[in-house]
Amino acid sequence: MASRNALTRRGLFRGIGSATVVAGCSGTAPTVDPSAPGTDAALSPGEIGPAASRLSFELNGKAVQVDVEPRTTLLDALRIDLDTTGPKKVCDRGACSACTVLVDGVQRNSCMMLAHDVEGRRVTTVEGLSPDGKLNVLQQKFVEYDALQCGFCTSGMLMSCTSLLQRAGGAPVSADEVTHAISGNLCRCGTYPNIVKAVVAASKEMA
Amino acid sequence: MPKAKVTVGFRDQLRTAEVELPEGEATPWDGKSDLKVVGKPITRRDGALRVSGKAKYTFDLQQPDMLYAAVVRSPLPAAKVRSIDFSAAEAMEGVRAVYAVAEPGADILFAGQDVAAVAATRPELAKLAARAVKVDYERRAFVTNTISAAKPDAPKVHRAAVQERRTEGDEPGTGGGAEAKGNVRPLRPMQKGDVEAGMKGGTVHEASYVTQVQTHSALETHGIIVRWDDDQHITAWSSTQSIFSVRDELAEVFNLKPANVRVHTDFLGGGFGAKFGASAPGSRLGTIAGELAKKTGAPVKLMCDRHEEQVCTGNRPDAHQDVRIAGTSDGSLTAIHVRSLGSAGIGTGAGVGRNAFAIYTKCPNVLVDSSDVFTNAGPGTAMRAPGHPQGAFALELALDELAVKLGVDPLAMRLKNDEHPVRRWQFEEGGKRFDWAAKRAESKKMREGKARIRRGVGVAASIWGDFGRPKAAVATCSVLRDGTVEIRNGVQDIGGGIPTVLAQIGAEVFGRSLDTISVKHGDSDFGSSVGSGGSQTTSSVTPAVRNACEAAKTQFIAHVADLLKAAPTDVVWGADGTLRAGGKSITFAQACKKIDGESITATASRPRTYGAHPVAFLGAGMPEIAGVQFAEVEVDTWTGVVKAKQILAMHDAGRIMNRLTCTSQVNGGVILGTSYALMEQRVMDHDVGRMLNPNLESYKICGAADVPKIEVELTDVFTGANNTGAAGIGEPSTIPTAAALACAVFDAVGEPVRRLPMTPSRVLAAMGLVPTKGIIG
Repeated sequence: MASRNALTRRGLFRGIGSATVVAGCSGTAPTVDPSAPGTDAALSPGEIGPAASRLSFELNGKAVQVDVEPRTTLLDALRIDLDTTGPKKVCDRGACSACTVLVDGVQRNSCMMLAHDVEGRRVTTVEGLSPDGKLNVLQQKFVEYDALQCGFCTSGMLMSCTSLLQRAGGAPVSADEVTHAISGNLCRCGTYPNIVKAVVAASKEMA
Repeated sequence: MPKAKVTVGFRDQLRTAEVELPEGEATPWDGKSDLKVVGKPITRRDGALRVSGKAKYTFDLQQPDMLYAAVVRSPLPAAKVRSIDFSAAEAMEGVRAVYAVAEPGADILFAGQDVAAVAATRPELAKLAARAVKVDYERRAFVTNTISAAKPDAPKVHRAAVQERRTEGDEPGTGGGAEAKGNVRPLRPMQKGDVEAGMKGGTVHEASYVTQVQTHSALETHGIIVRWDDDQHITAWSSTQSIFSVRDELAEVFNLKPANVRVHTDFLGGGFGAKFGASAPGSRLGTIAGELAKKTGAPVKLMCDRHEEQVCTGNRPDAHQDVRIAGTSDGSLTAIHVRSLGSAGIGTGAGVGRNAFAIYTKCPNVLVDSSDVFTNAGPGTAMRAPGHPQGAFALELALDELAVKLGVDPLAMRLKNDEHPVRRWQFEEGGKRFDWAAKRAESKKMREGKARIRRGVGVAASIWGDFGRPKAAVATCSVLRDGTVEIRNGVQDIGGGIPTVLAQIGAEVFGRSLDTISVKHGDSDFGSSVGSGGSQTTSSVTPAVRNACEAAKTQFIAHVADLLKAAPTDVVWGADGTLRAGGKSITFAQACKKIDGESITATASRPRTYGAHPVAFLGAGMPEIAGVQFAEVEVDTWTGVVKAKQILAMHDAGRIMNRLTCTSQVNGGVILGTSYALMEQRVMDHDVGRMLNPNLESYKICGAADVPKIEVELTDVFTGANNTGAAGIGEPSTIPTAAALACAVFDAVGEPVRRLPMTPSRVLAAMGLVPTKGIIG
């Protein structure tokens, strides 16, 4: 596990647009036939790739299993392989936070993590905020205060704000704290002022 | 034609006007109408979907057996394609088809232009295969700097004649130009009086003002999914602000009947003017996806990545404006002359809007003379109030510089020259609320005391027309047997919240609660509609919906009269929804159940605009929309950092349909304008002809901490233009922001920053604290 958790996307790619794709996570040339999925007999324990291999984790409270290649980001695995499209792909390089999810309760840009980094871990997306279909207080306040226009930044905003409210541990948060918490989340429609109002109101109601 | 008396005007300036109503037109809601649902702050009806991740945008959709396309783009700004070799790409894992967009011999005019495309089973495989396509280019000379390109010896950008490209995002009435000479294409000038004579009649201020290229940067990138249902039918899902323009382009490209192309846009992640048609302004996305889908027999999805979005999907052109402005000691303007060069890259439409020509109308002599300059860069396209923010910046800052020269207060000077009654009220009332006089006195004190941190205030104006279009929107209203009132129209929601407003119209007409109204939209099969451009959606669609609802209601009352065996005119619709006539009664639900067949249905459209009160836009048959913004900034004169502290935004949008969502749009306009004023800039490397910041970390847009405190005043103005009285707000609300901020910076530091964005180095340079040379841009 430790070696898997140490993987980062920056370590694997020189950058988006790079043609470099590391074939195996051990950093050596691939020793298996890439066309044979799941054959990792030739790999040392803990090594995966380059073919798709099984990934198991908890997504929004449910155990999921999916075959993904080592190069696949968590964002792509969620969106393409698991049809969990709340997290949005906007910049695909950690600049906008539209893809924010919680991993073991900590907010992360899912475009900057590899899918295999979440093996055995707990991932919460915006879909996980209202598992029973009933909006939680924060979501209700977003609607009430019109904290969304086109809605494309909204999922990421909600996850950053969820993380803020968790860190606050039930205490009301200030407008400055909300502004700070969403300072990495970009919005183009201009919803920031209403988001700040909505989160402050939600924190008061939940306190 | 029936005539109707309507109450027009605003606040206490109401009067009666007579308008001619076309046949079948609902009596207009006017200044006397007491509406219960329309105008109220109603939350968006799809809010729950958008906050729970359930809203599916084009980018989120998958079709069975769908392939993903990736485009090979030219890395060179000017070249001829010699050959394209697909052999390596075709042999790669997952690749199903390749397509040459440019044939050998084709001209490449900008870095990022389409050359070829591939379709593969996964997006990452398509990207890898696209990189493996080998293209041989013959390099050519290029020019990306606007001023260099305007010189006679510059490399010629276009080898063939240039077609003006206009979309529904362009301001109606603009456009048109003369034959290009070299790379310079003169646009139709705006002219009145004699500018040279006017200059002689006053004190003249003369200076040059520069604005940058701004990219739309919608969060959802451009993209489309094309599926051939058979060889004559296409279904497409598009990230578009104009469903019907996507349909028409696909029909034209693939030689199909428009009715055989169905386009869906359930949810749209922003547009801002760049998302018209099946293609992006600089990339033939619809053609590529359609051709690859045809070749493979599978649906093909093509979404731009952020780099592509920055270089080939449109932008707001730059502008280099030489301004001469003259006035007399009482603040009366005698002449305004603006000469502008701007570049929409390889595209057209780099004018600077109507601000200089049509706001300060007491000025008798005006000439606005602008030209497109072609450069080897991605095409510009309409962006939220095309031309206006750049025009407002130059005009309003020049006006303030002249005011200082004349010793006249800038707010008083605007009131001296602006005749629009709504804008005059906005200036006067806003000045009081903003505490203008006291704030100006305070900033003067800080300036004179040479304080390190200084505050300053500025004010600027907005002009836009109510461009609501006749006949374009066709709406259907059905009263269903289960008691639902269903409204259908194909319109897409760009984020303004139009479905919510349409439901409000239905609820108002039928006196029913909002949860009993169903709105079906975002689908070309739901009836033709307008694109969300020119701030015309609400003004075009709501009157059609109201006419359909009123017609369905009339039929429904006739149905009730039959049931109650009474005359339709005797039916009384109670506030509780009970219908009564001749001592008998029936509930709405009971009457619905007795409908023969599925529903009572009526279809209607919106007629021409029939009133233009209180002021007609440029003397044409539609109302002018007024707006004024006051800005306060704080400037650190040691570091040059400008902080936008607050904006008071006073706006007119006809009758406000939904105070909550309308205010949100104004917030958005202000924030976009703040971002334009202080942060955003496309940085080109003119030596290699490529954009250096095609992303969202070095192309800076406003974040939450950069936003000023925003106060919005929306004043209902009753125009008699259409039966709901709606006008637009998207564009007017972003026009004056950067100008007001620039005027405020001038007030704070005492020197004008004549170049956007107002970065720290430019502020320090304006104050003479650092040299001007070497500043990027």
